[in-house]
Amino acid sequence: MISKKLASVLLLEATASGADFAEVYLEDTLSSNLSMENGKIEERVSTNGFGVGIRVLKGLQSAYGYTSDLSKKSLMKLAQDVGKAFSGPRVLTLAPLEKVKVKEIINLSTQPMETISVKQKIDLLKMVNDTMASFDKRIVRTNVYLNDMVKNVTIFNTLGRYVEDTRRRARLYMIAVAAENGKIENFGEGPGASDGFDFFTSKIKLKEMAIETAKSAISLLGAAECPSGKMPVVIGNGFGGVIFHEACGHPFEASAVSKKLSVFWDKLGKQVANPIVNAVDDGTIPFGWGSTNVDDEGFPAQKVQLIKDGVLNSFMIDQFNGRRMKAEQNGHSRRQNYKFEPTSRMTNTYIENGPHTVEQIIAATQYGLYAKKMGGGSVNPATGEFNFTVSEGYMIRNGKIAEAVKGAALVGKGDETLAKIDMVANDLARAQGMCGAASGSIPTDVGQPTIRVTEITVGGRRGGQ
Amino acid sequence: MAKFDAYFALAKEKGVEVLELYYSRAKSLSFKLYNAQIEGYKLSEDISLYARGIYKGKIGYASTEKMTKETPEFLVNEIIMNAGTVTKEELAIIFKGSEKYKKKKVYNPEIAELSIDVKKKNLFEIERKLKAADKRIAQVDACSYQERESEAMLLNSYGLQLKRKSNYYYYYAGVLAIQGEERKSEGDVHFSNDLTTFNVDTFVNKIISKALIKFGGTQCPSKDYKTVLDKEVVADLLSAYLDNASADEVQKKTSLMIGKLNQPVASKKVTIMEMPLKKNAFFTYFDDEGVATYNKTVVKKGVLQTYFHNLNTAHKDGVQTTGNGYRSGGKVGVGFQNIVLKPGRKSLEELFAKIGDGVYITEVMGVHASLNPTSGNFSLQANGFMIENGKRSTPLTLITVAGNLMDMFMNVKEVASDNELLSSGYDVPSLFIKKLTIAGK
Repeated sequence: MISKKLASVLLLEATASGADFAEVYLEDTLSSNLSMENGKIEERVSTNGFGVGIRVLKGLQSAYGYTSDLSKKSLMKLAQDVGKAFSGPRVLTLAPLEKVKVKEIINLSTQPMETISVKQKIDLLKMVNDTMASFDKRIVRTNVYLNDMVKNVTIFNTLGRYVEDTRRRARLYMIAVAAENGKIENFGEGPGASDGFDFFTSKIKLKEMAIETAKSAISLLGAAECPSGKMPVVIGNGFGGVIFHEACGHPFEASAVSKKLSVFWDKLGKQVANPIVNAVDDGTIPFGWGSTNVDDEGFPAQKVQLIKDGVLNSFMIDQFNGRRMKAEQNGHSRRQNYKFEPTSRMTNTYIENGPHTVEQIIAATQYGLYAKKMGGGSVNPATGEFNFTVSEGYMIRNGKIAEAVKGAALVGKGDETLAKIDMVANDLARAQGMCGAASGSIPTDVGQPTIRVTEITVGGRRGGQ
Repeated sequence: MAKFDAYFALAKEKGVEVLELYYSRAKSLSFKLYNAQIEGYKLSEDISLYARGIYKGKIGYASTEKMTKETPEFLVNEIIMNAGTVTKEELAIIFKGSEKYKKKKVYNPEIAELSIDVKKKNLFEIERKLKAADKRIAQVDACSYQERESEAMLLNSYGLQLKRKSNYYYYYAGVLAIQGEERKSEGDVHFSNDLTTFNVDTFVNKIISKALIKFGGTQCPSKDYKTVLDKEVVADLLSAYLDNASADEVQKKTSLMIGKLNQPVASKKVTIMEMPLKKNAFFTYFDDEGVATYNKTVVKKGVLQTYFHNLNTAHKDGVQTTGNGYRSGGKVGVGFQNIVLKPGRKSLEELFAKIGDGVYITEVMGVHASLNPTSGNFSLQANGFMIENGKRSTPLTLITVAGNLMDMFMNVKEVASDNELLSSGYDVPSLFIKKLTIAGK
């Protein structure tokens, strides 16, 4: 939609008043959301997101503008207006735009979602719905959603970079609501990938996941309120990795580090965790939910070792914040869409396997909480204070898993919690989430094997014990 | 509007019985300051067109930001396909129009007219004053200004045509304060469409005072406490509470207010109004279905007076819509605007004196994740203060406050007189709750 020639004119225009970098980002996204409730299709909504963002940088200053009006007149005005945020003579000679070949990591499915009929999609939702609904008569409501999108992105910048990339993502979300004696509980799972229809039909065991979801909702009906106070917490694999995402991932982003706002800003090369802790952010996992062929500045995705043997090894860096840190970008600049200026973000972030087994960890814990499945949470990168919720939990007593508990929130400080991980199991799994921050809501994977933290504040509705 | 004639013509030609278009266009300008330098500028222009139409008795939705000559074709085709996918048995309704609309002019031209230099000068002054206020202010980590104006138009095959135009501005600033090993962050937003409500010194002082009193934070013993929730916290929880009054949630059996019409849902001290016609930045005289809005009491002295309805939920219950059809993610659901919780007579200090010993919660985090809307149970990361001998005392940090939303509103013992229209759009006071569970040590 924007020719190389027009892009060159826009970049030239945007850098007329002293900018030392400019970028044009074009996006055209088609998405469809299908929602089923109790086996009936409630609606299907189609959306076409479309627009251009122009960004200019000058030293440690940035200016950004966007519009959905792609007439040449409108784009020229946008380029001029953002360029005028700075004043001064031209300092940049434009490099000629050369198309960069994108190495495909995520766009390889033989069954892209847009080739799948609505009927096939509905049949898939129906299978999930019926599996949950028929599991137990206490399941009173079921919701299943399928969201899929194709995002076509074109990026031009004054380094001469010209990149075209296609991102296809799909996610299915299931919720089972259970009720008994006036109590209502729900449980949800949301598998997704940068993949096609075959992800749901053959790469994951969707039916088993639906059974597990219904089972978890039922088990919450009988769960007691969680006691509160400080105690050891064993955090389950997969979505349990949200603790690392919130408590360490966000403070490892260059946007927080570059301004010394992160508690970890001066900890590079220092021991921040037990030597059994290793962690990575890997944007190159084939078909990964958080994977990218190229980031939103057009640079190839990378695998970055964040923590090596307990030592802080690397941060996640975008171009702009990299300037303040005097560090190179490492493929971590992301944004929700053209309405956002990109910044340093996570892709697929996880703690790697360690030396223990789940059984060893439980047996070694006299009293504590087993947070088998986690819900969402949030963190303040400046203080490192985080909170997140336990969606399925059990008490551990005398080295054994005891009664089911619900309603627990875990709160703590990222750096302290990281330092208190003392056991790491070998059952690494990843799970999908949407991460919200300055540059919008983006798909990210969290992950970890089962781990133990020696002490976290657990907040429940049952008082202290 | 002539530019949309092609959409209606094409819809008719393809058998779409009724078409509704909602077109919105918004412009915004923002800039942020970091270390006495304008660090970022942002200019934006948002254009979106939401369409829905009735085809063979079912309703189909589609929306786009791409306005080209292919757009009518795309939207109409998607509406037809999406309507055909729906299997839920529900009457498809598009509104013919209300008898009367109470339109008011809320757009304030002064916001855009005020020179950019004044707005920038304010930011520089905010940053400078924040830094100078105390040597423990280590950084001003956010200092920004934004203004936005939007115009929207709703039109449909019945000839209904409604327009609204509004604007607002806000200043946002945040600080990181450090004392020894303790790091505290604090910030505030001033959101309004009235330029006279903003004062740099008031804004700065509020942030500084909130930040510095956090030092020396401890954790209290884990148990149940008499609790005062600051108005900011009340606003955070009120939205989740009122979602239960949505007829959509009631009909889906996910509300905690099922069968509670004309029954107590809160203590007698609590009266809650929805005032969409109150003239402020949140004013709206029609909802997203084109229904005229009106002010109403939702909870009167603890008793639920009405559910919030859109056209569809009202039809199912055999009542009139309450003008609460609001769009979320393309489709029209149930929402509300301008919520007011009626103030009481006692000041915050008088509440502390009445309580004697307890906890004052000033901040909660993670409401989206740690409040279960189905059960109403919550356990939230919180900051606050001990209340000892009738006065605010030691700061509390990294504690959790837990309870049940419905029980909590039933247990309101006293409503403070400190109402304020917050940037979230809630005009609420602080509340004294009989007991909530606090986890700390």
